[in-house]
Amino acid sequence: MAALLEITGLSTRFKLPGGELRAVEGVDLTLEPGETLALVGESGCGKSMTAASIMRLVPPPGRIVSGSIRFKGEDLLQLPEDQMRNVRGNRIAMVFQDPMTSLNPVFTIGNQIAEGLRLHRGLSKKLAEDEAVEMLSLVGIPAPRERLKDYPHQLSGGMRQRVMIAMALTCRPELVIADEPTTALDVTIQAQILELLDRLKEETGMGLILITHNLGIVAERAHRTAIMYAGEIVESAPTDELFGNPLHPYTRGLLASLPENAQPGERLATIAGSVPDLKMALAGCPFRERCPICEEVCATHHPGMKEAGPGHLVRCLMVP
Amino acid sequence: MKPLLNAQNLVKQFPVQAGPFEPRRILTAVAGIDLELYPGETLGLAGESGCGKSTVARLLTGLMPASSGSISFDGRELGSLDAPGLVRFRKEVQMIFQDPFSSLNPRMRVEEIIGEPLAIHGIGTPAERRDRVATLATRVGLSPDHLKRFPHEFSGGQRQRIGIARALAVSPRLIIADEPVSALDLSIQAQIINLLQDLKAELDLGFLFITHDLSVLRHLSDRVAIMYLGRIVETGSREAVLDRFLHPYTEVLLSAIPRIDGAKEHRVIARGELPSPLAPPSGCPFHTRCPYAQPVCASEPPPLEEKEPGHAAACHFSKDIYRSKR
Ligand SMILES: Nc1ncnc2c1ncn2[C@@H]1O[C@H](COP(=O)(O)OP(=O)(O)OP(=O)(O)O)[C@@H](O)[C@H]1O
Ligand SMILES: Nc1ncnc2c1ncn2[C@@H]1O[C@H](COP(=O)(O)OP(=O)(O)OP(=O)(O)O)[C@@H](O)[C@H]1O
Ligand code: SF4
Ligand code: SF4
Ligand SMILES: [Mg+2]
Ligand SMILES: [Mg+2]
Repeated sequence: MAALLEITGLSTRFKLPGGELRAVEGVDLTLEPGETLALVGESGCGKSMTAASIMRLVPPPGRIVSGSIRFKGEDLLQLPEDQMRNVRGNRIAMVFQDPMTSLNPVFTIGNQIAEGLRLHRGLSKKLAEDEAVEMLSLVGIPAPRERLKDYPHQLSGGMRQRVMIAMALTCRPELVIADEPTTALDVTIQAQILELLDRLKEETGMGLILITHNLGIVAERAHRTAIMYAGEIVESAPTDELFGNPLHPYTRGLLASLPENAQPGERLATIAGSVPDLKMALAGCPFRERCPICEEVCATHHPGMKEAGPGHLVRCLMVP
Repeated sequence: MKPLLNAQNLVKQFPVQAGPFEPRRILTAVAGIDLELYPGETLGLAGESGCGKSTVARLLTGLMPASSGSISFDGRELGSLDAPGLVRFRKEVQMIFQDPFSSLNPRMRVEEIIGEPLAIHGIGTPAERRDRVATLATRVGLSPDHLKRFPHEFSGGQRQRIGIARALAVSPRLIIADEPVSALDLSIQAQIINLLQDLKAELDLGFLFITHDLSVLRHLSDRVAIMYLGRIVETGSREAVLDRFLHPYTEVLLSAIPRIDGAKEHRVIARGELPSPLAPPSGCPFHTRCPYAQPVCASEPPPLEEKEPGHAAACHFSKDIYRSKR
């Protein structure tokens, strides 16, 4: 079977006064139909820009400088803009990190959901409204028909996030990219939405890229997990393998900092230091200043991706 | 020991109107809750999105008046405070906000942001304030050269530190923190949690910590209170509530935590839709979703009562349900 999405050598950069900022650097990713891929990593490591690159929505002064993004065999980076517009929202849907800026404040939420249904699926006003109600109740909005008349500012943060998810799912996309879709939601609603996504995946073969810092969600939902650091993927593996046998020092640090891994009240483990300036030229390993097992060679050699086991890739010079 | 903060039968109602010609309705965000907070203690408050946690925080910090009920700080009723008394209260109770991006004034430098409460309360000379700001910045792990910068030049974790330094500036005795770490990534979250723990131990602060992350709740709290639809449904020590829960909602909440071992068999699922706070269910507010509901639950509201020493729950059947389970 052909991969649903195949990204090779994707690099996205921002031209800034102080130099070029490498937001995404040589990223390779593959997603099969019905698969969930989790993208995890420190704030600013390039997760959202990877997603924006797939949608071809990188904000200026950013631009994709190299690579290919094949969606069912077709390179999205070569599509004319009008065809890309059809892909966006219809075949690939995105749930954005910040629901307030991605909902239109001057239209009711009913309007915004039904609009997409009429445009992309040609439904009548009545049918579109019924389907919007159905979608809102699926994402756990109480009294959905009454809520259609609400403007975004009248909803709580958690509700806005659910509306965004409902909008992304109405067009039955083949791929959903969800950027921190459940951060503002409490655990019960979180579970309900993730169940819904799983069900749609089973029914329609939809693929899902899940960007989150909640490792519990990753463990439960993702088939594969890719860990990003400073624009690069530093480790990727089937999720069970990654949590059972983490190899990259950054992945290990991340897992150690979970509150579950400490006794109540004890100090939590942290990763000392901070992310390097992404505008500086890459010499050596970008993690070396924070790495507990760093050696001299790490300052001069940039580690490449190595296969450490079946489907388990890691970018570290010290992993045999 | 006397409580630092004591809230009795706190109620907050909002009039809401769907449109200019729609009828006005009453939304009860907080429906009569009692809370006590002691020095050196962290009370963790958790519950469903929209159950009233942030409203409780706003009431307790005096940012919003309660519809009814009483709040006393250090033995004195808030309503009876004269102007200087209120100023002292505003100094001794500080708030840390959820969003490190929108809660800092973008046009002020970090040193002005941290020093502002000192200036407002007229504490110290300008030179003394500068010293104090520098000390605070170091205390929360910011370096002196950060002080001249603006908020947008900082990462989420650094901004949250600025907010914490600001809250500490006037030496408060109680800090109310509303989801202070949920917007942060894991390693930064761990740094902030460690910082809060250190400060609490060092300064004997009282802490009210609001979060929907139950592993953070378990890590930080001495006592825990669980809210549902504007009410506290269970409260007690951390171990009592999180390990020997006596309310079905607490059980549902705990079993929904996504676990790193990926096991989902432990799930107890609440059925049905979230009720609207505009039309709360009769009887037990959880009865429309409770997996153990009995006919009486739809008519008789269960009082929040002590089921074992120091451990209270609002459920008619907690003994029956959980005796057989344990
Ligand atoms: N509009 C922009 N102009 C300049 N730099 C940008 C812009 N947007 C993003 N960047 C930079 O690109 C890098 C990657 O950002 P991205 O938003 O992908 O991070 P992220 O991994 O999604 O982080 P988070 O977890 O905080 O959302 C960051 O260093 C960021 O500062
Ligand atoms: N100013 C207001 N006017 C009308 N209703 C309000 C107002 N502030 C809060 N509410 C309502 O009161 C209820 C409780 O809101 P609150 O913000 O306290 O919830 P919360 O528990 O903090 O939720 P979350 O976890 O989503 O932050 C919600 O139904 C909300 O819509
Ligand atoms: S290459 Fe060196 S510095 Fe980089 S992660 Fe591996 S050991 Fe650490
Ligand atoms: S009183 Fe009844 S409905 Fe309410 S929590 Fe207990 S068993 Fe469930
Ligand atoms: Mg992002
Ligand atoms: Mg809140």
